[in-house]
Amino acid sequence: MNQALQFPALQALYPEILLVVGAMALLMLGVFRGDRSTGAVNGFAVLLLVAAGILVCLQDGTASAFHGSFVSDPFARFLKVVALIGSAVTIVLATEFLSAPHRQRYEFAILIMLATAGMMVLISATDLIALYLGLELMSLSLYVIAALDRDSLRSTEAGLKYFVLGALSSGMLLYGSSLVYGFTGTVEFAGIAKAAQNGGLGLTFGLVFLFAGLCFKVSAVPFHMWTPDVYEGAPTPVTAFFASAPKVAAMSVFVRASMTAFPGIAEQWQQIIVFVSIASMVLGGFAGIGQTNIKRLMAYSSIGNMGYALIGLAAGSPDGVQSVLIYVSLYVAMTLGMFACIIAMRRADGPVEKIADLAGLARTKPAMAFFLAMLLFSLAGVPPLAGFFGKFYVFLAAMKAGLYTLAILGVLASVVAAYYYLAIVKIMYFDEPATPFEPMRGELKTVLAVSGLFVLLFFVYPAPLVEAAAAAAKSLF
Amino acid sequence: MYQAIVFLPLLGCILAGLISLAGARARFPGGEPSEFDHGHGGHESHAAAHDAHGHDDHGAHEPAAAGSRFAELATTALLFISMLLSWLAFVKVGLGQEEFRAPILQFITVGDLKVDWGLRVDTLTTVMLVVVTSISAFVHLYSIGYMEEDPYRPRFFSYLSLFTFSMLMLVTADSLVQLFFGWEGVGLMSYLLIGFWYHKPEANAAAIKAFLVNRVGDFGFSLGIFAVFYLTGAVDFDTIFAQAPALSGKTFHFLSWDLDALTVVCLLLFMGAMGKSAQFLLHTWLPDAMEGPTPVSALIHAATMVTAGVFMVARLSPLFELAPIAQSVVIFIGASTALFAATVGLVQNDIKRIVAYSTCSQLGYMFVAMGVGAYSVGMFHLFTHAFFKALLFLGCGAVIIAMHHEQDIRRMGGLKSRIPFTYWMMFIGTLALTGFPFTAGYFSKDAIIEAAFVGHNPMAIYGFVCTVIAAGLTSFYSWRLMFKTFHGEPHDHHHHEAAHEPHITMLVPLGALATGAILAGMPFKELFAGHGVAEFFRGSLTFAAGNKVLEEMHHVPVWVALTPTVMMALGLLVAWQFYIRRPDIPAALARQYKPLYTFLLNKWYFDELYDFLFVKPAMWIGRTLWKRGDGWLIDGFGPDGVSARVLDVTRNVVRLQTGYLYHYAFAMLIGVAAFITWFMFASGGH
Amino acid sequence: MNDIVKDYFPLVVFIAVAVVIALPLMIAPFVIAYKKPDPEKLSAYECGFNAFDDARMKFDVRFYLVAILFIIFDLEVSFLFPWAVAFGDVGVFGFWSMMVFLAVLTIGFIYEWKKGALEWD
Repeated sequence: MNQALQFPALQALYPEILLVVGAMALLMLGVFRGDRSTGAVNGFAVLLLVAAGILVCLQDGTASAFHGSFVSDPFARFLKVVALIGSAVTIVLATEFLSAPHRQRYEFAILIMLATAGMMVLISATDLIALYLGLELMSLSLYVIAALDRDSLRSTEAGLKYFVLGALSSGMLLYGSSLVYGFTGTVEFAGIAKAAQNGGLGLTFGLVFLFAGLCFKVSAVPFHMWTPDVYEGAPTPVTAFFASAPKVAAMSVFVRASMTAFPGIAEQWQQIIVFVSIASMVLGGFAGIGQTNIKRLMAYSSIGNMGYALIGLAAGSPDGVQSVLIYVSLYVAMTLGMFACIIAMRRADGPVEKIADLAGLARTKPAMAFFLAMLLFSLAGVPPLAGFFGKFYVFLAAMKAGLYTLAILGVLASVVAAYYYLAIVKIMYFDEPATPFEPMRGELKTVLAVSGLFVLLFFVYPAPLVEAAAAAAKSLF
Repeated sequence: MYQAIVFLPLLGCILAGLISLAGARARFPGGEPSEFDHGHGGHESHAAAHDAHGHDDHGAHEPAAAGSRFAELATTALLFISMLLSWLAFVKVGLGQEEFRAPILQFITVGDLKVDWGLRVDTLTTVMLVVVTSISAFVHLYSIGYMEEDPYRPRFFSYLSLFTFSMLMLVTADSLVQLFFGWEGVGLMSYLLIGFWYHKPEANAAAIKAFLVNRVGDFGFSLGIFAVFYLTGAVDFDTIFAQAPALSGKTFHFLSWDLDALTVVCLLLFMGAMGKSAQFLLHTWLPDAMEGPTPVSALIHAATMVTAGVFMVARLSPLFELAPIAQSVVIFIGASTALFAATVGLVQNDIKRIVAYSTCSQLGYMFVAMGVGAYSVGMFHLFTHAFFKALLFLGCGAVIIAMHHEQDIRRMGGLKSRIPFTYWMMFIGTLALTGFPFTAGYFSKDAIIEAAFVGHNPMAIYGFVCTVIAAGLTSFYSWRLMFKTFHGEPHDHHHHEAAHEPHITMLVPLGALATGAILAGMPFKELFAGHGVAEFFRGSLTFAAGNKVLEEMHHVPVWVALTPTVMMALGLLVAWQFYIRRPDIPAALARQYKPLYTFLLNKWYFDELYDFLFVKPAMWIGRTLWKRGDGWLIDGFGPDGVSARVLDVTRNVVRLQTGYLYHYAFAMLIGVAAFITWFMFASGGH
Repeated sequence: MNDIVKDYFPLVVFIAVAVVIALPLMIAPFVIAYKKPDPEKLSAYECGFNAFDDARMKFDVRFYLVAILFIIFDLEVSFLFPWAVAFGDVGVFGFWSMMVFLAVLTIGFIYEWKKGALEWD
């Protein structure tokens, strides 16, 4: 009996184990009770996600498992909490969607839980194998829920596109991983860092392929092409999920891999990140202007926002990592609020997604219009709303790292993007009212209000988030 | 008491203004008073129909605001009280040799600049007080009848009272700044009252024109005030006048010239006077201002506001006495105006415009008097002119009402039998204006001509010649107006039959002013132009040591003293010949001397000249800056250009999103390939 | 050079063996098969496919489902073999790992059974 076969310490994994076991239990509940149990499964799923979040918060210090391929450190815990919030809120947002008789699918919540478990593995991954495992657990679940509304042509198309392109990107990531392994002889980040001190073209190629796979997950240009189609085609709550938690997980592994595995070739990956970041911000800004469908608009918005988050990564400093963490947290908060509004855009004859349908919202639903306007102003980066601070920290980090061009281009791109955010505000406040929407459901109201108030009042007391992010960033260095 | 004189009209203004506001709310309940789009279609067309046969339109026939009658009575009553107090003040200050100074409020104290509100009541002021309050009171009374059909009467009376208040602030000013305050106040009220019927485009245009032309003058005036402050460090009259003698000989160094400081200051200040008093070159607004209601023409554009320039020169006599060149300019401008306006008046056909040009001409007389140093004589003419010119305007108003808003004298005639009272009143006014012996105008106008004759200024003789000729012309056009309006055959029998005497509230002011037109001359002759001047005006007017005009004018040759009367008689005879005996002569003359006739008829083409010199280039600059500068350059390359480029980029970026899976996969592979290539070549050295 | 040849030599052997076994098996039927068609042999299979037809044709997606489900259990078995062989060495942790794996698989199996994925209709 050698050491490897000892029963391992699994404390670091308790939240993930809870989620997975819970997911399977709920699966059994669902499959024996049938679609009637959707509501109960959703409820339990939220409770489990919250419980997992509490377990994450209870962890302390740095604990690792599986011979260092899985780690629970402040960085991981910060992002896990954000991702768990995103997932839990998504299930809440989906309540209405899943309440229609022909859409009662308890699998939705279970898939979300499994995807979340994948994300948590991804966030904690400290070697390439764990990274890939987490990534695939997350992605496979996402492919399925993209096509959740399987009677809808658009939803199945979205699922198929996402799957095919996702498979391609996974292939690239794997290929990159194998190259990295081939040139460094190890899959552990720490080992790679040690072996990759001097770089080398082969390693750089591996890096490029690895990053291509990760860029796909954060939907950064030029690996973003799936985003608008999938966001538009997938059912709206699913889109809300895509836009929030998986982005957090993918961004976290991006940051962890860059910082802990490739510090030796920072010069190389910085070039990639800078290019991808600029391209994402610019494309997100410009392409968003041409959109008439609000979900598609949110797709471009998320492309642009990931571009901004990547600015912080490009800085490659503790400040930079901190700014990325702050940015994605605020981004998730704003996105969930936005999607609460988008889900609430429904008339008597079904949901609508055109931006023009928001016309005159200020007169038909003033409170909703106000919070939506606040979220849009925040996304546009208008002080003193939360979105401004997100941008402020990433630009500050970029300036400190001497990336002036990047920061300036970022500011310019945000001006372009501000156009389409503000255009929506204009449509809501100055256009003639369209047919009013159905009354907003309680849970949507709650999500929107919490998100809106967070965005509105963040500047009053930003310290907890900023300090937690600083502590999390420190654990990577 | 003096405070009451000044502030009672303000009280009236506020009362009437509140009633007017309440009326506006009642008229447009629960919303913005959008006067133009609130069921006024019929109103507009109604106004247009009126315009077709006359200018002096009464606007809409809708019910007046509640309290209109109260507003009229309150403002009028307050004005009459003010008038009585003014006469009392005239007696006390002018004859009783009292002076009154009263600080009211501190206004500005910044560094050396110290401006306070204060009342300064000396003889010069009381003369103006009497003129302003008397005319204003009677015009208020007259307006009750004249504006009877107008639904916006409270607003009108509020404006009139506010005008009166501004004018009183002007005449009681203790400093140049307060003078300027009143000056701008009356300018504003002039603008508002000319444009009172704001639905008439011509009225709006005239109001804007009046305001803009006055800006030119006011620009000079304000520069003058700055210059005075620069020289003396003060803006209150006492300090300025005390320092004035020390200033003579000082120079301004401007570019490469050394300019005499006092001359420059006086010329700049006089520029303001030219604008306000519609003197030659800046006169173009006055005839157009006749678009306003007739009582406004009588009060503002004949008797009071336009004389503010004259008053200002008189008030600043200590400065002008020290600047002979400036005085020459004053004479030149005044004399030219007197002659020019008289020539234009000869051929005009609009009854109000004739009187307006006459006003212009008479103001020229006053400036001639100011220029030769006979300040009290100028003030005398101002005093008498106010009565008979207001009388003439109000008479014109009565005629216009009688003729149902007809203003063209060619369409009148024979009105004497229909409106005899009005006729006789206007007859008296015309006598006074033309200087018929022993009427008010006779004393004051003759005094000016005599003063011009004896003046020592090199320009004085020019002033004398012009004023004498203008006297003849004045007589001609005045009688032409009378004959064409009241004598001869009626042009339009329908209107002629319908013509009737106006309301009693309009007849009383006519009678009162006619009395003034006769009696304002003789009793005051000694005070203004005789031996009582020094005692009467005391310190309020300054005569330089060598200024003996007032003394010498009593010793002019007989022919000089008789000339104005002869000219008057000559004008009367010619007019009688042309319009009573041989009505065919004027037409024949006009045909024969067509260029001259059209030259005069078109007012020396001043409007066209200014249009060409100032309006067109200004419009061109504005249009160029707008179309080329703003639209093409700034918008094209600025916001619009940038946004258009952004949209181009957007269109292309959106086109990339084809929806085909293989395109998407291809994009990813291209991305990877690009990075690989980049690192192969960029970091080939590794 | 020699090293590379040596490294890849086993591959060559495997390929050769594969060829030697596969080729005769593919050719032999044409040579020695006993051909006696009858209507039963020529009629369609029970699954609905024609006996002689293009292999690249549309077929019911349910075949695909069955195939996928089969593969999962196929792989499970191939995973169990090495575990069984090394059972003595993997200890308690190895045992429980496989139990967890099987439990997860069982849950999946129960799910697909209850969902009716194994039913043809």
